Amino acid sequence: MSKEIIVSPADWEPLDIENDLREKIWSTQRTFAEDVWFRFSHKKSAFAGLLIILLLMLFAFVGPYLTPYSFDTQTLDFSNIPPLMEVTNVDDNLFYITANLKVIHVGNNGKLLAALPKLKEDTAQKIIYYDFNGRELPLSYQKKPAAILNHEGKRLRRDNKVWNTSYWLGTDGLGRDLLTRLMYGTKISLIVALIATFVNMTIGMIYGGISAFAGGSVDTVMMRIVDIISTVPLTLYVILIMVIMTDGFLSIIIALSSVYWVTMARVVRGQIYSLKENEFVYAAKTIGSSQSTILFRHLLPNAMGPILVTATMMIPSAIFMEAFLGFIGIGIAAPMASLGTMCNDSIQALRSNPYQLFFPSLMICIIMFAFNYVGDGLRDALDPKLKK
Amino acid sequence: MKLLEVKNLIKHFPVKNHKGQVVHAVDDVSFHINEGETLGLVGESGCGKSTCARTIIRIYDPTGGEIIFDGQNLATLSQRELKPIRKNMQMIFQDPYTSLNGRMTVRDIIAEPLIAHKIGNSQKERHEMVAQMLKQVGLNTEHGTRYAHEFSGGQRQRIGIARALILKPKLVICDEPISALDVSIQAQIINLLTEFQQKEKLTYLFIAHDLSVVEYISDHVGVMYLGKLVELSESKELYKNPLHPYTQGLLASIPALDIHAGKITDKAEMSGDLPSPISLPSGCRFCGRCPYAKKICAEAEPPMKEAAPGHMVACYLYS
Ligand SMILES: Nc1ncnc2c1ncn2[C@@H]1O[C@H](COP(=O)(O)OP(=O)(O)OP(=O)(O)O)[C@@H](O)[C@H]1O
Ligand SMILES: [Mg+2]
Repeated sequence: MSKEIIVSPADWEPLDIENDLREKIWSTQRTFAEDVWFRFSHKKSAFAGLLIILLLMLFAFVGPYLTPYSFDTQTLDFSNIPPLMEVTNVDDNLFYITANLKVIHVGNNGKLLAALPKLKEDTAQKIIYYDFNGRELPLSYQKKPAAILNHEGKRLRRDNKVWNTSYWLGTDGLGRDLLTRLMYGTKISLIVALIATFVNMTIGMIYGGISAFAGGSVDTVMMRIVDIISTVPLTLYVILIMVIMTDGFLSIIIALSSVYWVTMARVVRGQIYSLKENEFVYAAKTIGSSQSTILFRHLLPNAMGPILVTATMMIPSAIFMEAFLGFIGIGIAAPMASLGTMCNDSIQALRSNPYQLFFPSLMICIIMFAFNYVGDGLRDALDPKLKK
Repeated sequence: MKLLEVKNLIKHFPVKNHKGQVVHAVDDVSFHINEGETLGLVGESGCGKSTCARTIIRIYDPTGGEIIFDGQNLATLSQRELKPIRKNMQMIFQDPYTSLNGRMTVRDIIAEPLIAHKIGNSQKERHEMVAQMLKQVGLNTEHGTRYAHEFSGGQRQRIGIARALILKPKLVICDEPISALDVSIQAQIINLLTEFQQKEKLTYLFIAHDLSVVEYISDHVGVMYLGKLVELSESKELYKNPLHPYTQGLLASIPALDIHAGKITDKAEMSGDLPSPISLPSGCRFCGRCPYAKKICAEAEPPMKEAAPGHMVACYLYS
């Protein structure tokens, strides 16, 4: 049963320990950035959010080059065509009847071929005759919905459904491709939000940094100003600024950038204020480092985590604010489009063409979710102690 | 020759939301350090040692008094005027964890003083100097590219020492450089500091919160209580013949020195806590905890008097 284990007495002799060995660092340590990335990428929601943002960027910035349409080319014949069309089959030819009583010939693969030319209209019978390759095609609008009549004068049902392969997401009221406009709108919205956030971040960092760094009465006055600005709902300021300025790309960026820095300024000030009492800042002072070295080499880099988190969280609010402005009609001017103005365009025809509102709204939701998840993940990754 | 002389140094902090009230962190402290010597400054936590050090090196602006360093009064100089003087006066900090910037590599941390004072012509030259300094404090060159958080407390303190000594200062203020370290590491750091002192003829102001640490390295020892210097004497004399009841109490609280304590009498054991430095008792600040308190102790503050040759004490027992 028992196995004999032979241990020579020499094995119990203590090893020579050198002093260097004792202080040696054994484990390979990750740098701070690697550490943050490790925690971030192991959080599923954050990683998914980042992936979605990257895909969205591709969609918005590369996508427009891949579609055959431009965001502002109008094809009035093909206005308000939905992505999924209910078509009438007449002798193996498919026809789509639009809301304003046009008949469009649709190929079997779902391509829109042509709008049929109108021959004559019988207002008494409420029938419009269209020409299809020399044949007469009667469209009755006596009863709703309008329907094509066969030889015997019977209404043909719209019983076939085909996907619109010419315009994957359909067209808007002016016959513009919604997919292209969605890409373009997403691009504009992202650009506006990113620039506004960047400007807010810069202003906030400088303002908050100076306020905390100077301290004393300078700090008190600067923070009172921030308090006063933030007592009025910020949305109101933005609307006022937009009303004063002409609506356009630049003015919306100015409006969004000039107001939201107060949050950032508070965050930065709080961070710097607590960091300022750290001994490494005192050390820099005793060394004789300049004020700007202390602010830019010591204080701000250490405050970067919360600053980045706040900035990431600011992007979705900027997107939403921009969309809101566009929606109430004081956003980007036509023919440029943002997600908000697209929602605004579609609201009049909401009943008949709900898809026109659906896609831009969905896009706003996706963007906001993605950025919020990334911001959440970033906060947890940067400061695991602060986990909610 | 006196390298540093502190005369009636005062540092009061305003109390937030209570106008007129102040924290008496340092109150009328005077001492001097000769070139090449070490002054140990001892006292309980919160008695104002760090504040004293930080005021001398002008992290804080003094409320009053003079700081004469190398024949120049630092108390009235502006930060700009102080900059060239900072080269000669450096500090090692209490907390090895917060005293190093976690976003900088060790090499950048140690090179910062060189850049601030425009020493070294090129980055390469500075890196060379840093590498040499790292070797001198017992680290290797490869450690330079790492970040401070990868090091142990003892190693971090070595980095702090390297940063303070790379400018070859005359005076180094050591603010409890070992109190955050393991006992085994404490000795290493002390040895490193004494080694440097001998090599570079450094002058130390060495702060600690118990007397056992300073005994070996100090030429003179000052004992602080609640912002005041209560006893100041040559090191050997102080340990042999502690005069102030507070010093006696401190010595009694060192386990290894029980022989001394027995000789002093058991009454010296201190009871009670530090009173608030905001509303101070009138008279002697130690009065409430002193086993020998007399009536006069509660009425007026005892002045600093020479009770034995070179042995200053602020206590009515000796006047
Ligand atoms: N910046 C400050 N503002 C207000 N009060 C302060 C400030 N720094 C220190 N104090 C107060 O001054 C007193 C002395 O503090 P100090 O840090 O000098 O003590 P210390 O002797 O170094 O203690 P420790 O051994 O814990 O380091 C304390 O009561 C402290 O609360
Ligand atoms: Mg201290």
